[in-house]
Amino acid sequence: MAHNFDELILTEIRKKDERALRELYRTHYPMVVHLICSNSGTEQEAKDIYQEAVIAFYEKAQLPHFTLTCKIKTYIYAVCRRLWLKRLWEKKKVNGNIPEAETFSGIDDEVSEIEEKENRFNKMGAALHALGEPCRSIIEDYYIRDLSMENISEKFGYTNAENAKNQKYKCLQRLKKLFFNNQQKGI
Amino acid sequence: MSSENEMFDKYLKDQLSADEVASFEERLKTDAAFRQRAEEHQILVKELKSFHERNRVRDVLNEAHQSIEKTRTLTVENTSGWRFWPMAAVAASVAMISIVGTVFYTRSLESKQTAYYKELRRNVDQIQQSQKLIMKDLEKAKKSALPGKYAGTGFLLSSAGYVATSYHVIKEADSIIIENEKFGRLRTTIVYGDPLNDISILKIEGELNLRSLPFAIAESEANLAEDVYTLGFPRNDVVFGEGSISALSGFRENPNAYQVSVPVNPGNSGGPLLNSKGDLIGMISGIQTQTAGAAFAIKSSVLLSSLADPALDSLTIPLILPKQNSLKTPSRVQQVKQWQDYVFMVRVY
Repeated sequence: MAHNFDELILTEIRKKDERALRELYRTHYPMVVHLICSNSGTEQEAKDIYQEAVIAFYEKAQLPHFTLTCKIKTYIYAVCRRLWLKRLWEKKKVNGNIPEAETFSGIDDEVSEIEEKENRFNKMGAALHALGEPCRSIIEDYYIRDLSMENISEKFGYTNAENAKNQKYKCLQRLKKLFFNNQQKGI
Repeated sequence: MSSENEMFDKYLKDQLSADEVASFEERLKTDAAFRQRAEEHQILVKELKSFHERNRVRDVLNEAHQSIEKTRTLTVENTSGWRFWPMAAVAASVAMISIVGTVFYTRSLESKQTAYYKELRRNVDQIQQSQKLIMKDLEKAKKSALPGKYAGTGFLLSSAGYVATSYHVIKEADSIIIENEKFGRLRTTIVYGDPLNDISILKIEGELNLRSLPFAIAESEANLAEDVYTLGFPRNDVVFGEGSISALSGFRENPNAYQVSVPVNPGNSGGPLLNSKGDLIGMISGIQTQTAGAAFAIKSSVLLSSLADPALDSLTIPLILPKQNSLKTPSRVQQVKQWQDYVFMVRVY
């Protein structure tokens, strides 16, 4: 039953179905709250950790050749546990010794990958924030929402598509600088 | 450079023609700097996309989280509000009943308690008074004679000097001395003991020079509600007490005793119980504790049958019981005046 549920959730999530994602989130939330709160954490911290784990799973599920090697529950639990231990370590609360109930092979790689992704995500967030408007909207419209340059020039009041293209080019160069410089600094 | 960027974008969006793609890929292989720029561009665009994807997912999750918290608060409201109201009502009524019940119960308890305390205080007062009196008596007694270990009452059974008293008064006796106003102190010996009926007979050493005793010992049972009185020595002076026969059986329905409503105290044991004519109908033996006004007296018929014991037949001086009542006065004062000569305080050493 549980495994069927996992398979169902996975197929729906691969279709980027939001309902499946919500269902998944709702199913395992209590477990993680219990895990974090019984190990000197708050519910807010539990929420952060849990969302990170779910996003990691979601992104993993989007990879073309992804297959489930363990239960989703096990994946979430193991990832949350590792992430939380790391947080405790950062908070200098070394007493965090959470017994390992369930885990899966490759958890170490998984966690470092998750952290790297999280890191890049934060970098991009910071870079986009530093980029400011209207650059950010132009970039997002072009790359994310796939608007044509004509639409963009119209939307932002440029005289023609060529002007908009120039503006977009400048913005992209700035973003490139911000993102990669930050990343280098970070590394 | 702007055109180069445009080409990257077009390549990523699959907007290049086959020839353009071929030349583009050819350039990637040959021009390292161009390749690096292309890769950077690709990474940036990919990161941008994943950033937005992640934000979208995060929004979805936050939404899901809010729905969790909403349902939780809803269930909390449910539990506190209406779901358990019958249980809450039961609990409230139970609490109500127990509170009211406790109030009533403790109130009644309180009144009982105060009554009990009042009585107790009166008792304590009495005890203190009698203690003071006893102290005075003891001081007086010290001047005349040792008080003895125990004290009781006895009365003369025959002019030959036989005295009846309770067995429990003399049972641990070394020596027994009896005294009253007329005869003073007299030494006695025990001639007979009946622990079962709590009767014993003492013999006064020496002659008394008495004519026959002026009372009779009743052979038949007394009647219920008959007026009775007693003389005894609960203190160093003879004490008169009167009452009536309240039951024809004694402690625990003992058929050998009467229950009498005569005020008696320790020291009254062995005292004669007399009827209105002054005849002996019993002998005071004890009281029931925690019951007001319940004293017990051995029946005279039991005394008589006990005295028929063969041990008393072989006495050198025969025990001749008085048979004729010669008091001949209905006045209790006159009866007592004569009777008190034959009642003794029994001191046990």
